Amino acid sequence: MIRTENLRKRVPLAEGELEILKGIDIEIKARESVAIIGASGSGKSTLLGLLAGLDVASEGDVWIDGVSLAGLDEDQRALLRAEKIGFVFQSFQLLPSLTALENVMLPLELHGVANAKTLARNFLERVGLAERTDHYPNQLSGGEQQRVAIARAFAAEPAILFADEPTGNLDTATGAHVIDLLFEINREQGTTLVLVTHEQRLADRCDRRLRLHGGALVGEESGHVSRDGHSGTPHLRGV
Amino acid sequence: MTALRMLLRDWRGGELGVLLAALVVAVAIVSGITAFTTRLQNSLEQESHRFLAADRVIMGSREQPAEWLAEAERLQLRTGRVLTFPSMVYAGDEDMVLASIKAASSEYPLRGELTMSADAFGTPELRTEGPPPGRVWLDSRLFALLNVAVGDKIYVGDAALEVAAALRNEPDRATGFLGYGPRVLMHIDDIPATNVVQPGSRVRYRILLAGEEPVLDDYVEWLEPQLPAGQEIIDVGRNQRGVGGALERAESFLLLAGSLGVVLAGVAIALAARRFSERHYDYVAIMKSLGTVSGKINRMYGLSLLLLGALATLIGAALGWGLQALFFTLFAEALPVQPGPAGVRPYIVGGATAVVCLLAFAWPPLSRLGGASPLKVLRRDLPNAVSRSAIDNGLGLGAVLLLMLWYSGDWALTLAVLAGLAASASLAATVAFLLLRGGRLAGMRAGSIWRLALASLQRNGSANTLQVVIFSLAIMLLLILVLVRTSLLEEWQMQLPEGTPNHFLLNIAPDEVNAVRDTLSQTADLAEPLYPMVRGRIVEVNGVALGRSDDPEEGRRERETNLTWAREIPTDNDIIAGEWWDPNTEEALVSVEEGMAESLELEVGDKVRYMIGSQPLDVTVGSIRRLDWESMRPNFFMIFPPAVLRGYPATFMTSFHLDRNEKSLLNQFIRQYPTVTVIEMDVVIEQVRGIINQVSAAIELVLVVILSAGALVLIAGVQSTVDTRLYEGAILRALGARRGLILGGVVIEFAALGFFAGLLATVAAEIAVYVLQTFALDMDYSPHPEIWLLGPVMAVLMIGALGVWNCRRVVSSPPLLVLREL
Repeated sequence: MIRTENLRKRVPLAEGELEILKGIDIEIKARESVAIIGASGSGKSTLLGLLAGLDVASEGDVWIDGVSLAGLDEDQRALLRAEKIGFVFQSFQLLPSLTALENVMLPLELHGVANAKTLARNFLERVGLAERTDHYPNQLSGGEQQRVAIARAFAAEPAILFADEPTGNLDTATGAHVIDLLFEINREQGTTLVLVTHEQRLADRCDRRLRLHGGALVGEESGHVSRDGHSGTPHLRGV
Repeated sequence: MTALRMLLRDWRGGELGVLLAALVVAVAIVSGITAFTTRLQNSLEQESHRFLAADRVIMGSREQPAEWLAEAERLQLRTGRVLTFPSMVYAGDEDMVLASIKAASSEYPLRGELTMSADAFGTPELRTEGPPPGRVWLDSRLFALLNVAVGDKIYVGDAALEVAAALRNEPDRATGFLGYGPRVLMHIDDIPATNVVQPGSRVRYRILLAGEEPVLDDYVEWLEPQLPAGQEIIDVGRNQRGVGGALERAESFLLLAGSLGVVLAGVAIALAARRFSERHYDYVAIMKSLGTVSGKINRMYGLSLLLLGALATLIGAALGWGLQALFFTLFAEALPVQPGPAGVRPYIVGGATAVVCLLAFAWPPLSRLGGASPLKVLRRDLPNAVSRSAIDNGLGLGAVLLLMLWYSGDWALTLAVLAGLAASASLAATVAFLLLRGGRLAGMRAGSIWRLALASLQRNGSANTLQVVIFSLAIMLLLILVLVRTSLLEEWQMQLPEGTPNHFLLNIAPDEVNAVRDTLSQTADLAEPLYPMVRGRIVEVNGVALGRSDDPEEGRRERETNLTWAREIPTDNDIIAGEWWDPNTEEALVSVEEGMAESLELEVGDKVRYMIGSQPLDVTVGSIRRLDWESMRPNFFMIFPPAVLRGYPATFMTSFHLDRNEKSLLNQFIRQYPTVTVIEMDVVIEQVRGIINQVSAAIELVLVVILSAGALVLIAGVQSTVDTRLYEGAILRALGARRGLILGGVVIEFAALGFFAGLLATVAAEIAVYVLQTFALDMDYSPHPEIWLLGPVMAVLMIGALGVWNCRRVVSSPPLLVLREL
């Protein structure tokens, strides 16, 4: 589904170049859920941006469903995103001037889906916000806003969902609820899930965890880890 | 559909209010002012045509060929014919008077009305046609001079005609009122019976024409090439009625105001659009992350702008129409002629303004939205697309230039205003930067509120400099308009003050001078001395004979004018070349009016020969004078030292003011001095005053509209930095700052911006008003000490209040809410 080869990202600084990603090679299969973990500044979000085609690599390439991102311009990447990719962000990224319902309708409208309103309403119902459709983002709590964002992300039925610190701005209980929801719908829709987090609890629920440090992939472990950390069979191997 | 939905959502979000308001104001200003001036011009044109009794007149010393009339009728123009000639008029055996006969066809007058009364001094009534064949109307004076009453017969040549009424006024009386004595109006069909019109008689033949302007133009175009010598086509300019100069300045003012209004609205649009686009970068980043391509984003925003433009054009045009309609309704009574509709052109101009404003001011920042990086969804700190302010400003400046040019049709005015704007903007930018720095240094030694405010001012140095420039430009433009308006109104008040002479007396015989002066001093305010008047013809300049006056060749021609003498220069005359003479001089000198000197190509020192009757008079041009033709006082082209004209036959003239309720005294006067010609200008002066009042009110109204454009600029300017200030205020509150401290800081910050802007605006406005009044509007300049206080104080109050109003949320809502929303 997603494959990278020698993926590098460098940014120019006053005192020379800074390499944020140092040659990443990964492969993510369809329907797999993968967590990218690591400390702040390890390059997690940069990697997510490159995987999703939001940013351009300095070297190397990303293939999504066999399509090389390096060969696409911004508009072609946008079309690819429209077709295959959904997002959930740490800061929710809802449009403040739109109601919850309108925010969910946005991608559907942009793709010219006919019954956008009904579909959007169904998804809001699915995330438990049937009563809040006409509320604006600033009238919703953080958890509610993130549920709207999840509804928006799944409404377009993407093949891949990228989530950037989806619980980063939420308290533990709310975060847990949001995660449950995310994984539930993910399972229902059979979406490939790539999420960036520094929250172990969230990472443990993924099929696989990729650990970044200083821009390099330093570890990979697979297998579910149950919430109490005892059951399941995680396999850790160095890279 | 997506664009419409997006527009509706943005509208609900309050993002579009200022943008739409600025567009609406631009369209309303442009269409309203254009409609207003078009209708006013149209009304004044009709008014001026009344003074010709037609739209065009063909006048000549020979009868015009029949095909000229036939062609006019073929083009469906209305036509009429008029003959004028001097002739003796008899009643009985003894009474005869040299009268000025006017013989008119039934269509006369094509424009305006005749004023008549049932007997010599009866109640005046209006008529749209003169007497029928067999009857005449007589000048009131003739009743006494001929000793006749209504119903009696008089003779013009061999024709006996019945006196039917008194002719009190003719619309075209002013053209050649110094004719040959009292008027007799008869029907043109009676002319053959008179046998007075023979080859060689001094007859003037006129064809009167009226109809649609384009048709008239076609006709004139057809006629002009075949017009023989001695025939001319007369089209009345507005200048002859004393309102010309005033109206031209009013028009210039309205165009200036309108242009400045468009500039202001343009700035407001640019500011609002920039803020709108800055607040939409995140929006676009999200849409792009959801897979929208930049072309689609551009199309959506482009379409939104088009919809917005269409909406603004509709509202603005309706508002513009409403403004001018309201105006013409309020002032209908003051109008001499009800104006026709202005047509659709004003609204097309308004719509085009909206399109140009959107393309030049709003589109550049919005067009860059398509280039927003989708990565912004992950990293909100990514900078927005690079602003290309140099290109944007160039585009805006170009658009303003084009709009002003198209709108005013005046290169000089356009370039003057733009040069003024550019100079003031750069000056303001430099000074503002320096002042803001100075403010910081002063603030370092001041208390904490001041330190906070002034530090904030300086930290956002370039943004604040831009704000000061924008504020000061807006305030400057408003001050300029207020000052120029005040000067215009004052000048008009001075031009026709209460007691302006409204009656002229001509043909006063030398032996009547003392008696007339006594009578006038008892009955009216004698505003002017009695001026002697000698009729003379200028025939030679420096020994070269001039062409005959009816010679169609270009260049200097013989001119017949009224000559007068005076020891001292008349009060409102100015010498522009040469010198006025010694009061007792015996030298053969003449002082010539500027325009006359120009048309005869005369300079000081030239030798001029006049013929007065059959006697030649040789004089040297001693001086050239400029005088105020709009003053309603006796004015003379040629003035001589008293000694030079002594011995020539003179009559005297004067002017005086008579109130409407003293009008009956005039009848007494006419009976007492039947040979004196009275010209009643009171109606004309009242009309002039009416028009001036109307135009003054129009200027006030336009000023209010422009003020709203200025207010929008101020609002847009304040809003452009509100987000930063809100954010900083919220952080300060989160850190424990008291509301008073933050509010105080905001007040000081905006008040300081206002003060700098007001000060700069005052200096710039004073300079601009000097330049405008001296070079563009042809008025006298005097400094305006009052604005030196008013400018800065008003600016502090307005900008301070607007700033606090817009930033009130920072102290009224919980800091967390503010921080979450930003």
